[in-house]
Amino acid sequence: MICAGIDAGSRTTKIALMGDGDEVLLASAVGEPGACTATQAEELFEKTVAQHQVDRDRIGRVVATGYGRAALQMADTTVTEITCHARGVQFLEPRAATVVEIGGQDSKIILLDGNGGVRDFVMNDRCAAGTGRFLEMVAERLDVGAVGLGELAAGSQKPATINPTCAVFAETEIIGLLSAGAKPQDVAAGVQETVATRMATLAVGRAERPVVFAGGVALIPGMASALSRALACQVEVASAPQLTGAIGAALIACREA
Amino acid sequence: MERERTTAFSEACNAGEPAVAPDGKGDPFAWFASMLPNCLEYAKAAKAEGRPIVGITCEYTPRELIVAAGAVPVCLCGGSADTIPTAERDLPANLCPLVKSTYGYHAEKGNPLLEMADLLVVETTCDGKKKMYELMAESRPVHLLELPQKAEDDAAFEHWAGELRALVAVLAEKLGGSPSQDGIESAIRAMNRERSLRRDLAALMQSDAPPLTGRQLLDCRSIIAGVPVALEQYERTLDMLRAGEARGEMNSGVRVLMTGVPIVRGAERVVDIVEGAGGLVVCMENCTGVKPILDDVAEGTPDPMHAIAEKYFALPCSVMTPNERRQTTLRQLAEEYRPQCVIELIWQACLTYDVESFFIRRLAEEELGIPYLRIETDYSPSDSARIETRVQALFETVRGRSVAETRRG
Repeated sequence: MICAGIDAGSRTTKIALMGDGDEVLLASAVGEPGACTATQAEELFEKTVAQHQVDRDRIGRVVATGYGRAALQMADTTVTEITCHARGVQFLEPRAATVVEIGGQDSKIILLDGNGGVRDFVMNDRCAAGTGRFLEMVAERLDVGAVGLGELAAGSQKPATINPTCAVFAETEIIGLLSAGAKPQDVAAGVQETVATRMATLAVGRAERPVVFAGGVALIPGMASALSRALACQVEVASAPQLTGAIGAALIACREA
Repeated sequence: MERERTTAFSEACNAGEPAVAPDGKGDPFAWFASMLPNCLEYAKAAKAEGRPIVGITCEYTPRELIVAAGAVPVCLCGGSADTIPTAERDLPANLCPLVKSTYGYHAEKGNPLLEMADLLVVETTCDGKKKMYELMAESRPVHLLELPQKAEDDAAFEHWAGELRALVAVLAEKLGGSPSQDGIESAIRAMNRERSLRRDLAALMQSDAPPLTGRQLLDCRSIIAGVPVALEQYERTLDMLRAGEARGEMNSGVRVLMTGVPIVRGAERVVDIVEGAGGLVVCMENCTGVKPILDDVAEGTPDPMHAIAEKYFALPCSVMTPNERRQTTLRQLAEEYRPQCVIELIWQACLTYDVESFFIRRLAEEELGIPYLRIETDYSPSDSARIETRVQALFETVRGRSVAETRRG
């Protein structure tokens, strides 16, 4: 039998298909970034199944996670992204003790229990200051993409200081810095530092090693090292950072099937 | 303009079902479902009989002294998001929503119970409330009790007892009702009876399969203390729930101990999210839950004023320092109600509960050995989906743990 996980995130949909006997990742997909709808997520799922020539009838169970999980009609059940990322990271990086996950609109620190479960977690409140959406917003302001933001930041000698507590204040601050002549690379580096600082605050010194970095933001160059500095420990990027939620959901589907 | 003013309160009133039928049959929660209109009617009738209305906004204010002075103590804490924009004309946006909502009702003249009040008896608990009262005092009669905040200090207690003696004089002067020692004693007995009935109702949640939900228990509360009909309704609700329990009517879910800020009528959103996500709030250690009803005022003592001062000064609010009693209470409640997790609710900008959450997390995780979740929010529903995700993840963790324990055990 095959089990599926769909991570309907706020900016991207992710799909994972796993064989339930040996827990092998058979196929995966990451959708185009943008505002995601349930229809788009289901289309991506069907496309992935077709592309990898997976026998549709062998798919026994589908678990949905992520921001849009409740809207997916095809899912047998839903599980929160916190539980799914924990399970997915443990599968990809079995030694992991802590997961730092930064997605489109959420950021979280998850402490693992050693068996793929969650011991404790913290998640950002209303504010988007520590999220992928915030980085995207800054990248737009600097006229580069999210990946370009990381490349730009690499050229900075002196990262700008930006208040980490509020995305709206931070944007105002960035406009102020740029109009006062700050270099775009220093602003880009400053923004990465501020997101990393925000995560360290969320972790309140409880992040245990090894720390694994997951979520789409882990793909931005320079973010992992900014996070390593803020947490004062080496942070490793998960081998498929965008897919940890979908893989976790598929693994949970295997367990429940 | 007149229509706008009454919107928030009338909406709150209309949310309920019609009052209970005189034969006492039917839904045990019916009277409480229309508690606001019922209380409004009661206050109007009392006022017509010449009894003054006294507005209160805190559990530290002794209802006994107000009742003994022949007045009606009415809680005026605001639970409506609708009055907050008006409040923010005068108050900072970054302030507790309970303070802002209460002030919004004042500014809009939107709470008929407040408009009826002959006097407000308030206290120095948090800074937000304290300074808000100064603004209210511009246009309303306000008497402020100074609450000292060193919980274990004898001189602090003596100061509090002095504040209550002064309150008796103020009530006599402003409302013309000078309470006798006997009057105070009988008010003590009446308030003790109300506390005891509410305690019995809360204790039903100690069951493995309680006959009511946390939200239903939260609704079984009158904003006017000592209403005879309300006391009958507490009794009736208790009888009906016990009978229901005997018939096997029960609720289940992940057992949650809630703590933190008060959840006043209209602001129950987080309780609904918790219970909607598969939780059962078995106990609320806050001012709208068991905190104010755990201890009674000693009856039949030679100095009832001292007994009242003692009961109220012992309330473990986060404005007290140090506030060891809150942790002692939580340990006790955890034993009685057997929660599987602790959820702490903090209204945005409630600094004292926010800082104190450090100790509560430590108590839950290290001492009680159960997961802890802190939710900071206000009266706006914009973060409901995010709160729901965190609560669901908490319950997944709790269930994951119990599966692991079963396997090990």
